[in-house]
Amino acid sequence: MFLVGSFFLFAAFLITTCIFVIFSKNPVNSVLFLVLAFLNSTFLFILIGAEFVGIILAIVYIGAVAILFLFVVMMLDIQITTLMFNIKRYIPLALLFAGIILAEIIYLTVFKTSKDNLDTFIISKNNTEQIGDVLYTEYFIDFQLSGIVLLLAMIGAIVLTHVYRPTIKRQNIESQNSTTAEDRVKLVKIKSGEGIKDD
Amino acid sequence: MTSLSLELTIGILKIFSFVVPVLVSVALLVYLERKVLGAVQLRKGPNVVGPFGILQSFADVLKLLTKENLLPSSSNKFLFIFAPMLTLILSLIAWAVIPISSTYVIANINIGILYLFAVSSFGVYGVIIAGWASNSKYPFLGALRSAAQMISYEVSIGFVIITVLICVGSLNLIDIVESQKNMWFAIPLLPMFVIFIISALAETNRLPFDLPEDEATLVAGFFTEYSSISFGLFFLAEYANMILMSSLTVILFLGGWYPPIDIFPLNAIPGIFWFVIKVFLILFVFLWVRATFPRYRYDQLMRLGWKIFLPFTLIWVVITSAFLFYFGLLPN
Repeated sequence: MFLVGSFFLFAAFLITTCIFVIFSKNPVNSVLFLVLAFLNSTFLFILIGAEFVGIILAIVYIGAVAILFLFVVMMLDIQITTLMFNIKRYIPLALLFAGIILAEIIYLTVFKTSKDNLDTFIISKNNTEQIGDVLYTEYFIDFQLSGIVLLLAMIGAIVLTHVYRPTIKRQNIESQNSTTAEDRVKLVKIKSGEGIKDD
Repeated sequence: MTSLSLELTIGILKIFSFVVPVLVSVALLVYLERKVLGAVQLRKGPNVVGPFGILQSFADVLKLLTKENLLPSSSNKFLFIFAPMLTLILSLIAWAVIPISSTYVIANINIGILYLFAVSSFGVYGVIIAGWASNSKYPFLGALRSAAQMISYEVSIGFVIITVLICVGSLNLIDIVESQKNMWFAIPLLPMFVIFIISALAETNRLPFDLPEDEATLVAGFFTEYSSISFGLFFLAEYANMILMSSLTVILFLGGWYPPIDIFPLNAIPGIFWFVIKVFLILFVFLWVRATFPRYRYDQLMRLGWKIFLPFTLIWVVITSAFLFYFGLLPN
């Protein structure tokens, strides 16, 4: 009873926050509602007993990804009116993706998984160990491939943003550290009435 | 009483038995900080309110409470008020999983260390929301600095935690402490211990990494616009976070509630005493560092995080796991 009640509570919160992500006037509020949505899905994962997946979701998405979103969105000067004007163009694409995801969910819940299959997952080990058992053995290739995809994304981002401009002044830590007093300061003895010759 | 309401009452009492000591020790920590800084700088420190000035921080809290709480007219009112609350809540909920002794803990969960890591990484939201909701230049710059800094150092903290986890083979905090019964991890993993303390300084925005509240360039950083008790909540949260990170250091590296040597007069003393003493020592290091080192420049901070700590911890994870694997010491 308690579990079912909390499921509906968190699920309702999840859907509400997702709606607010789309319809918030201010992009910063959208990101904050997105954080709430992630938090609620974390709770849902914990409710079904997958606390490892839930907390990893929280660490990765709330603790890192959403902060970077917020970081970028806070610095952008976005005109809300132009965004709302353009939103209708994306509706067909959004519907397409929504349809694909819905079909996936239906396929996975109705056709793929039978009840016997679920029972094999309920064993004495905690789910952290269960994931550890299969991640590097059965799903080794998939795991490595997803790692390579992430690496490609990272390299792509670095290549896109890291443009070398010779006009920009940079700190060169090695040359700073190897500087000695003799490089920067010298002691000049000045005779009275002559001043320093600039050389 | 029914069993449910009895359970609830016990739970609430347990929570209070953690939160009240934490808040009191925050007040004492502020006093200690001013005394230590005073001693380092050959001053007396607070010595007027109460015996030896020990009630100084309580007087400060009362002063903050009686001040007017100002709301900047152009701020986002809800988020402006919400940010300090969030910061304090996050610094207190983490105590739910901290084991003070082998039995004294509110929730002994399987993934305790991940929970702590998650909660400490949420801490940046309070700062970044405060900076943005103030709608003012200095708080905003402070918030940006803070976001970048905390994300950078979380990476190395994550790798340090992974190294410890490889040696333990469990994510449970009590298991982590109990595996240090014979040898504290601070000895075999000394470099990780040092990196963890430095990263904890950066994660709690303490000197020498307190760039989000750098008073020389940013007035007071992200809480420039805050006054009265909303400022007080940030202040409380910062010190509660310091105590939290020190407890985490003690749990991960200094053997939690175990005495230094397992011999008679030492192991007769209750574990809580050892825990508190160790947390106190780490906190003293925090204050000592504050009194000793000048503040880092922002590019130096980023360089230390990404170019020194990240590769070093990454290599150390590989070395540790290779060592354990080669000598067959991996926990099952």
